[in-house]
Amino acid sequence: MKWMHQDVQNYTKAKEYIDSAIMPLIPFSFQGDDELSQLAYQHEVMQILMTQIEKQLKGRVFLLPVYNYLKQNKLEDEYERLETVVNHVNEQPFKHIFLFTFDKKWRKYSSKIDAELIWLPAPQQGDLNQVETQQLVQSQVSEIEDLIKEQWDE
Amino acid sequence: MSEKKNNQVSRRQFLNYTLTGVGGFMGAAVVAPMVGMAVDPLLQADGSDDFEYVMDVDEITTEPQRKTFYIDQQDGWYDTEAERAAWIYRDENGDILALSPICTHLGCVVDWETGDHDNEFFCPCHYGRYDKNGVNIPGTPPEGPLHAYEYRIEDGRLYLGRANPREGA
Repeated sequence: MKWMHQDVQNYTKAKEYIDSAIMPLIPFSFQGDDELSQLAYQHEVMQILMTQIEKQLKGRVFLLPVYNYLKQNKLEDEYERLETVVNHVNEQPFKHIFLFTFDKKWRKYSSKIDAELIWLPAPQQGDLNQVETQQLVQSQVSEIEDLIKEQWDE
Repeated sequence: MSEKKNNQVSRRQFLNYTLTGVGGFMGAAVVAPMVGMAVDPLLQADGSDDFEYVMDVDEITTEPQRKTFYIDQQDGWYDTEAERAAWIYRDENGDILALSPICTHLGCVVDWETGDHDNEFFCPCHYGRYDKNGVNIPGTPPEGPLHAYEYRIEDGRLYLGRANPREGA
């Protein structure tokens, strides 16, 4: 399910089945042109990963809106803001919350936060219209799918 | 003298007529495409008759094969190319079956023979199961069989259209 009118209506009718929330953590920043294109590329890949996962597992996964933050913000402050979001989601009948990020700074919070924080290695910039790049992204989608299914079976 | 004048078009009138006429045409030329664009989605066919080539008929086996194809999808003003998938095979009567992999429960993507589910379609989300004909197995969450695509065969090539619900368990 996505954060969209029609999907949300389906969600309210089938809450007991949709027990997993997924949310991407995506930084942005205009500092430095190199970083700009790197971050934009990561944003694009993350969006593809999330929509593909949602498509495959639509009936059990709810894709939340992106958690955006400024890259240069202090992560301690950012963690507090994220925690409020996670706590709010936890109040809903979700059994699993998965947070996905390419930003390795989040890793040290993975044990603290009340959600499954999944850090993915940041992809090298490539051409998303190329078949090889698409295959690479697609294989990552299957990996993430397996990871989520494993959590369900636990 | 005055009668004669009534039949004549004065210079002022002539200019008025021609300018209104030309102006009207110019206005219409500007407005018509805008109106056209505004109501564009209404004028286009709904695309339900679109069939897409998927595979050759002699490649179809009794074992379901997964094929993907692209259709032009219209969401209001947006034109997007949407990916569709189908499990294609011949059933025991030799009839071609092209099933949509979308679970009829809540819309996850089902897979053929995953894990220990031999000869079944299996949904990973809530463990829904369908037999080889795509009919839901009672006692599992799905409430209807997998949808089947309309198909058409031309020159040994299989074309798929829309996926429709079917009657079943």
